[in-house]
Amino acid sequence: MTEQNSNNEEAVDQDKELQKVFPFFKSWRALYTFVLAELVVLIILFYLFSNYFS
Amino acid sequence: MRTLDWVVMGGTILFIILYGIYKSRGAKDIRSYLLSDNNLKWWTIGLSIMATQASAITFLSTPGQAFNDGMRFVQFYFGVPVAMVLISMIAIPIYRKLNVFTAYEYLEQRFDLKTRTLGTILFLIGRSLAAGITIVAPAIILEVLLGWEIWITCFGIGILVMVYTVSGGSKAVAQTQQQQMAIILIGMIIAGVVMVLKLPSELSFGEALTIAGANNKLNVISLPSSVGNFFQDKYNLLSGLIAGSFLALSYFGTDQSQVQRYLGGKSVTEIRIGLLFNGIFKVPMQFGILFIGAMMFVFYQFEDAPMLFNESARAEILASDLKEDYLQAEENYTSLNQEGKLLWEEWSRSGNEGSMEKAIIRNDSAAQIKKQILANVAEKAPSINTKDQDRIFLTFVLDHLPIGLVGLLMAVIFSAAMSSTAAELNALASTTSIDIYKRMVKQDASDEHYLKMSKRFTLMWGIFAILFAITAGQYENLIEYVNILGSLFYGTILGLFVVAFFMKKINGSAVFIGALISETLVLAIFFLPKLFPDVLGILDIGYLWLNLIGCILVMLFSWIFQRVS
Repeated sequence: MTEQNSNNEEAVDQDKELQKVFPFFKSWRALYTFVLAELVVLIILFYLFSNYFS
Repeated sequence: MRTLDWVVMGGTILFIILYGIYKSRGAKDIRSYLLSDNNLKWWTIGLSIMATQASAITFLSTPGQAFNDGMRFVQFYFGVPVAMVLISMIAIPIYRKLNVFTAYEYLEQRFDLKTRTLGTILFLIGRSLAAGITIVAPAIILEVLLGWEIWITCFGIGILVMVYTVSGGSKAVAQTQQQQMAIILIGMIIAGVVMVLKLPSELSFGEALTIAGANNKLNVISLPSSVGNFFQDKYNLLSGLIAGSFLALSYFGTDQSQVQRYLGGKSVTEIRIGLLFNGIFKVPMQFGILFIGAMMFVFYQFEDAPMLFNESARAEILASDLKEDYLQAEENYTSLNQEGKLLWEEWSRSGNEGSMEKAIIRNDSAAQIKKQILANVAEKAPSINTKDQDRIFLTFVLDHLPIGLVGLLMAVIFSAAMSSTAAELNALASTTSIDIYKRMVKQDASDEHYLKMSKRFTLMWGIFAILFAITAGQYENLIEYVNILGSLFYGTILGLFVVAFFMKKINGSAVFIGALISETLVLAIFFLPKLFPDVLGILDIGYLWLNLIGCILVMLFSWIFQRVS
């Protein structure tokens, strides 16, 4: 019983941990979107950079 | 190297090692030794991941890559942000929930012992050889350019790394990597600034960019020129995004030398932010390093540049029957370069487009001369390795940076070599301790015993890496093969994990047989076209794609065997 309680507490702690987000973003999904959007922006900028100086 | 350079280099390296030992003192149990007490913050994790990936060759070779081939190599890293997001979303919650020491522990929890052992063995083979290469690759270059004996450099790097990795384990690796990465970034920024400042004063930065662009050195984005080139062209937008993502997923998500960097994180949040930090900054960082190479190309438009930066190869050619041809090519090359220099100066003064066009034509002709004579050497004297990409940046550093900064850049090279090697030894020791010794040899020993054995395994792998490095130093071609070795195994390892994460109905036996068959096929796809180029040469694909092929084959065969059984 005690072990079961302890397991439940651990699971709750892990769930809470998974919910914590970096301060400037509302959710993890927003942060992931930001990272992938930065990649897209970089590719576009690199493309323009390559074309301009080619 | 002058006295001040030795002081800067030695002082920097010594400080980092002592700092690492001090910050990691008192590791009292196996969790503390292998997982840094699960106390790492996101910035330590982020820098540690970055430092593990960036070996000395990254900093020696990457500017040379841009010098020769332009900046398109940056596309190789486009998969990193994608992989970081996927690992953060999928793998981190699972690793964390299971509280594992190594990635391969998860394979047993999901499948069985034999699948875990297969993953462990594939990792140990690939990474142990790679650890030796991480040490010897810069040693070979330093021998040629500075006359340092290969075995002394290998011993130097190996012993220094072992001092803090054996004593402080994972925490020492993470703490030193923070300092090493700081030195690397500072050193490379200074090198880039000095490079730009050393351009002729009458040349504006915009004109420097125009020269680099006109010579195709700012070609950051390239698309495959034909369907045939899709699989054979190593660096283009699609191979970077697709194959690069699979390589990055394999490396960051399943290679223990990277997984161990973030398993010691304080929380899921810290780990995820550390990974995403890499996803955000890795591509711009590589762009910066390649940009240094593009500016170096512009610098050498106004300076005397050797046709071949590989002095030892040049000496070998001059000792062969090709001497006369080579000297003639060299004379023509130098003459074209001199004419090019005058034309660029004329263009910079007057803005005359005609001068620019003539200078570009001369550059193309000079490049053609170099290409032809090297092709001739490759045909008539194939034992001479004329590759000079790794030597260009260090030649610039030694010839053109002021006293003191040469020492700092040498510290950058040693820091990069040491940070990667330390992470590799630490991961090899963890996997040997946890996945082999604790699981299969001695299951019920005390924590102190496993701690003692982990230190011994670190020492053992360190000695192996040094000995392999010294042996590999005698056979330069061996190094190229070992560098590709990772890609031969990564696809299969990633396949094991993808099946574990997403194909819930597949059992251990099916995935195990599927992985064995896939690995055999990947080896066949890689080696057969090289053994029989006349018949199978058309199947010779860029090694980046092997990650994707290996992964898909494991998924496919696992599914088939599960259906059959």
